[in-house]
Amino acid sequence: MNALSIRNLSKSFAGSPALSDVALELRGGEIHALMGENGAGKSTLIRILAGVETADALVLEKDGRALPLSNAQNAHDAGFRFIHQELNIVPQLSAAENISLGLPYPRRLGLAVDWKELNSRAGMALSRLGVDHIDPAMQAARFDTGDQMLIKIASCLVDAEGRTADLYVFDEPTAALTGEESEKLFAVISGLKDSGAAVLYVSHRMNEVMRLCDRVTVLRDGRNVLSAPISETSKEEIITAMTGRSVAEIYPPRSSDVGEAVVYAASGVSTDEVSRIEFKLRAGEILGVAGLANAGQSGVLRIVMGLAEPGKGRIEFGSEPAPKTPSEAWARGIAYIPRERRREGLMLQMPVCDNAVLPHLDRLRRLLFMANRRGERAMATRTADDVRLKAAGLSQPVYQLSGGNQQKVLFARALGRQPAILVLDEPTRGVDIGAKYDIYALVRELSEAGCPVIMTSTDLSETLGMCDRVLIMRDGAQQAIIDAAGLTPADLLSRIYAS
Amino acid sequence: MLRILRIYGTLIGFALIVVLFSVLLPGTFFTSGNLINISQQISMLAVVAFTMTIVMVMNDFDLSVGSMASLAGVTAAVLFSLGYPVYVGVGAALLVGLLGGVFNGVLVSLVGILPFVATLGTLTMFSGLAFLVSGGRTIFGRDIPSEFSGFARGGIPLDFIGLDGQKLPFLSLVALLVLAVVWFVLEQTTYGRRLYAIGGNKEAARLAGVRVKSLRLSAFALTGLGAAIAGLMYSSRVASANPTQGSGLMLDAIAAVFLGMTMSEEGEPRVLYTLVGVLILGVLDNGLTQLSVDSYIREIMVGAIVVSAVAFSSITKQSR
Amino acid sequence: MFFAGTIARGLAALLVLTGVAMAQNVTVVTPYLAQPGTQMYLEGFEAEAAGKGWNVNVIDTAGDVAAVISRIEDAVTQKVDAIVINVDPAQVAAGLEAAAAASIPVIGMDSGADPLVVTNVTSNGYAMAAETSVYVANRIEGKGRIVMFVFDAFPPVQIRGVIADAVFGNYPDIEVIDRITPDVQDGGIADSRAKMEALLAANPEKGSISAVWAAWDQPALGALQAIEDAGRADEGIVIVGIDANPQARDAIAAGGNFEASIAQDFIGIGKATADAVARAISGEEIRERVTYVPTVLVTKSNVNN
Repeated sequence: MNALSIRNLSKSFAGSPALSDVALELRGGEIHALMGENGAGKSTLIRILAGVETADALVLEKDGRALPLSNAQNAHDAGFRFIHQELNIVPQLSAAENISLGLPYPRRLGLAVDWKELNSRAGMALSRLGVDHIDPAMQAARFDTGDQMLIKIASCLVDAEGRTADLYVFDEPTAALTGEESEKLFAVISGLKDSGAAVLYVSHRMNEVMRLCDRVTVLRDGRNVLSAPISETSKEEIITAMTGRSVAEIYPPRSSDVGEAVVYAASGVSTDEVSRIEFKLRAGEILGVAGLANAGQSGVLRIVMGLAEPGKGRIEFGSEPAPKTPSEAWARGIAYIPRERRREGLMLQMPVCDNAVLPHLDRLRRLLFMANRRGERAMATRTADDVRLKAAGLSQPVYQLSGGNQQKVLFARALGRQPAILVLDEPTRGVDIGAKYDIYALVRELSEAGCPVIMTSTDLSETLGMCDRVLIMRDGAQQAIIDAAGLTPADLLSRIYAS
Repeated sequence: MLRILRIYGTLIGFALIVVLFSVLLPGTFFTSGNLINISQQISMLAVVAFTMTIVMVMNDFDLSVGSMASLAGVTAAVLFSLGYPVYVGVGAALLVGLLGGVFNGVLVSLVGILPFVATLGTLTMFSGLAFLVSGGRTIFGRDIPSEFSGFARGGIPLDFIGLDGQKLPFLSLVALLVLAVVWFVLEQTTYGRRLYAIGGNKEAARLAGVRVKSLRLSAFALTGLGAAIAGLMYSSRVASANPTQGSGLMLDAIAAVFLGMTMSEEGEPRVLYTLVGVLILGVLDNGLTQLSVDSYIREIMVGAIVVSAVAFSSITKQSR
Repeated sequence: MFFAGTIARGLAALLVLTGVAMAQNVTVVTPYLAQPGTQMYLEGFEAEAAGKGWNVNVIDTAGDVAAVISRIEDAVTQKVDAIVINVDPAQVAAGLEAAAAASIPVIGMDSGADPLVVTNVTSNGYAMAAETSVYVANRIEGKGRIVMFVFDAFPPVQIRGVIADAVFGNYPDIEVIDRITPDVQDGGIADSRAKMEALLAANPEKGSISAVWAAWDQPALGALQAIEDAGRADEGIVIVGIDANPQARDAIAAGGNFEASIAQDFIGIGKATADAVARAISGEEIRERVTYVPTVLVTKSNVNN
C-alpha cells in the first residue's frame, strides 16, 4: 500500500458531533501519530476504522480506490490490524495459541491439533518481528504485559489466507509497559514500518511520539487542528494544539510546606508480596513508590488499603488498629484508585453516578438502610465537577467514556468525602494529556489542603514532578526513601538501578 | 428507533400477545375473572423469579430453588401430619429455606465454588432431603390442615371495586407482597445498590469497599427463603406436598428473569421487568390452553419465545 | 415475539376452519401423561371421543399438580363442555370448585372419588381383592396356612387387604399365619423377599405354608424369589398378586408358583370415561359416584392373550 486517505469523516452521537470533517493521510512506511485530549475523537476514529462504529460521512480511499467499511470484516479484509491498550490475551492458552486465536488450528489427519506446526507458525511470526525471547509453547500468563503485547502484534501477522496487513493501529500501546518493554515494542514497530506498512500510533506520551513517529495529526473537539511532519513541529506546538492552551509547566508546583503531623506510619511491615516496608506519611505529603516493573510498588499500596495482611511489623493510623479490608479502609477515609481501572475500578455498564458514590452509600443513606438517590446525585454532581468530568450526564454508562474520563470517575469516587489518605496506583495510566493535567492539579490541591498521598507511577518525570519523596522498591523489598527535590529522571533511574 | 425496539421489544411483544389472545378469545381472555386466575396461577413462579432476581443481579444463579420449594413444602406437610399446628410447619419450612440459602451462600461466597456448580450440587441434596423427609410419598388428605389449604382458596372480596363475587386470591397477594419487598430491597436500599455494583464488577466493588462475601451470602439466603415461600404456596394450592412438586419452577424462573433482562438499558436484571417475564410465561400458558394448543407444542412455543426475545435483544444490542 | 404471533394466528385460522364452535369441547388434564397406564386410558378415551365428534384437548402438566389446577381454571374460562381429570381430586379442589361454579361437569378417570367429581371411572379394588383371595381359597380347597402381604397406609391398597381378610376369615380351616407390611422404598420386592425368607425359615416343614396372597404384584414377586431360592418351589405354594404388571405376567407365564394376578382394563376405563362424559354433557344425572370397569383374572391360560 502506498497511501490510505481518510477524508470528510464525520460522526455524531445523539446530535452532538464527535468528529467533524476529519482528514487523515496515512502512507506506507510511515508512522503517523494521532494525538488529542480526552474526548477529542481519537477513540471514535479508531472504532470507525475498525468497522465497529459506522461513520455518518466518510471518504476512504486506498491507493486511489474507494474501500467499503461497514463492519469489522471489511476492516480486516482491507488489511487493518488493531492493537489496543487493553490486551485481549487469553492467559490460559499458550503464546502460540494466542497468536493463532480465531484461526483454524493446523491439524494432523484432520483431527488432532498439530502443535508442532502451530508453534512453528507462531515462532515464524515472532521472528519476523525480530522477537526471539518468547517461547511459543509457554502459557501467555507467564509473560509480562510487554511480551503479551508483542504476542498480540505477532497474531496480526498470522492470517488464514496469508494476507499481510497494510495498516497497524496502536492504541496507547505503552500505557501498561515499563521502559524496557516499551523499547522492545518500538523496535518492532519500526520493523513494521520498514516492511512498508502504515502505522497509526495513538499515544499521550510526547517523548515517544517525538522519537518514533514521522508525522503527527492532532484532533481537538473532533476537528483537525494540526497535521505536520514531526521534524517540522515541536512538543510545545503539539501540546498547545491539543489543549488549546500553552503549557508552560504541567506539574503544578507545591506552594506550601509539607505538614509536620504523621498521618500514617509503617514500620518493618512484611506481607506475602513485599517486605521491610518502612515509611511515614505526613499531612499534605506526596510519597511516590518507584522501581522496575513489578518490584512490589502496588504491594506497598495494598498494605495501606487493607488488601494485604501484614505478617510482621506495625502500622499506626489514627487511634484504632489499621484497616484490614478495603471496606474498613474506605470507612476510615482512605481513598483508592486501583491500577487497572477497567478490571479493578469500574462497573463499566453502570452509570457515572453509581460508580462515583459506591463507597459512600452508607454515609448518604437514610433510615439505616434506605438509599438516598438525591444525595447520591448531589454528591456525584459535586465531585464530577471537582474533577472536571466530561460526560453526557451522570446517567451515562461509564464504558462510553474515554479513558481519561473513566479515570476521572475514579477520582470523583475518591473525593466523595475529604480523603484522609489518597492511594493512587498509576493514576494517569492511559490518560491523555489534558486529563493528566486536571489530575495533577487535583492531587496537588488535595495535598495542599493537608491530605497525604501515596502513589506509584512508571513515568519517572511524573513521579518527580508530583512527589516530595520517593520510596524505592526492588524485588519486593524496600531499598531507600529519597528526597525528590532537585532530581532529574536520569538521577532517579540511576538510583533505582543502584539500589 | 432500534434502541426503542430493543428496550421495549419485549414489552411490545407482551402487549401483542395480550391483544392477540383478547381478539382470538373474545369474552373469555380479557375478563376480570381470567386475569385474576392468571395472577393466582403465576403467583408461585413469580415469588421464585422475584427472589431469583436478587442473586442474578450479582451475575449469580441459584439452580436449587425448585428442590428447595419441594423440600419446604414437604417439611411443613410432615410436621402437619405429626400434629403440629400450622404456624410451626410454616415457620419450620421458612427456616429450612433460609438455612438452605445460607448454605448455598457459604459455598458460593466463602468457599468460592461457582454458583452453577454449587447450586447444582445443593439441588440434588435438597431433592434427596425432600424424599428422605417425606419417605418418597405424597402427603395429602387429612394430614393437611384445612386452615393451610384454605389459604390458597381464599382471597379478599373485590365487591368494593365493582367486581361482585370475585376475590383477589391470597396467593396473588403474597406474590405482590414479595414483589414489593424485593423491589424495595433492590431499588431503594444501599444493600440493593451494592448488589448491583457486585454484578457490575465484583473485584472493583470489593476494592471500593463493598463487603462482597457477606452480601453474596445474604442474597443467596433471601433466594432460598423465597423458594420456601413458593413451596408453601404450592402445597397450600394443591392441599398436599410431594418431594418433586417444585422441580418445574427453577427453569421457568430463570427464563422469566432473562426475559426481563432484555428490557433493561444495560441488560441488568430488574425485578419489575422480571414481573413482565413472569406475566409473559403465565399469559402464554393460560391463553394457549384456552386456544386448545397441544401441551407439547405449547412448550415448544414458550421456549421459542424466550429464545427469540433474548436473541432479538442481543442482536439489536450488537448493532447499536 | 412476532414469531409467536404468527403461529398463534395460524392456529386460530385452523380452529375457525375446523368449525370448532359446533362440536363439543372436552379437556383432559393430567400430570401423568408419561406413564403407560395413562397412555392407555387416553387411547381408549380418544377412540371413543373421535366417534362422538368431540374436540379433545389433552393437557399434560408433566408432574406439576398446581398446573393442573391452573389448566382446569383455563378450561373453565374457555367454557368447555366437560373436563376429565386423572389426578387425586383432593389435590386439585380449587380447580374443581371453579368448574362447579361454572356448572361444567368434571369426570374422574381413575382419579379417586370426590363430591365435586360427577363420577370416577375406575376398577373395583374390592372386587379385585375378592377375586384373587377366592382364587387362593379355591385352589387350596379351603384349608391351609396363608401368608398375606398388605399395605394399609395407602387407601387403594388397604381396601384390598380388608376384603382378603373377610374371605379368608370365612373359611374355618384357613389360617393366616402372618400379615406382613413390607417396606416399599424400592417398590417392595426386596423387603418382601427378606420377610418371606424369614417366614420360610420359621416354617421349615414341607407343606407348612400353602399360599401367599399379596395386595399388589411386587411382594408376590419377592415371595416367589424367596421360595425358589429356598428350594421349596415344588411344595405347591400358591402365589397371587394384583395389577398384572409385566414382570408378574412373565412369572405367571413361566408356570411356577406365581399362579394368578388381576388386570385392570385401562382402555376400557378410557372408553367408559368417554361414555360418562357423554352422559354428563347430555344433562343426565349420574347417580353412581364411582363407575366400575370389570377386571380380568390373569392365569397361565390367558396370560398371553
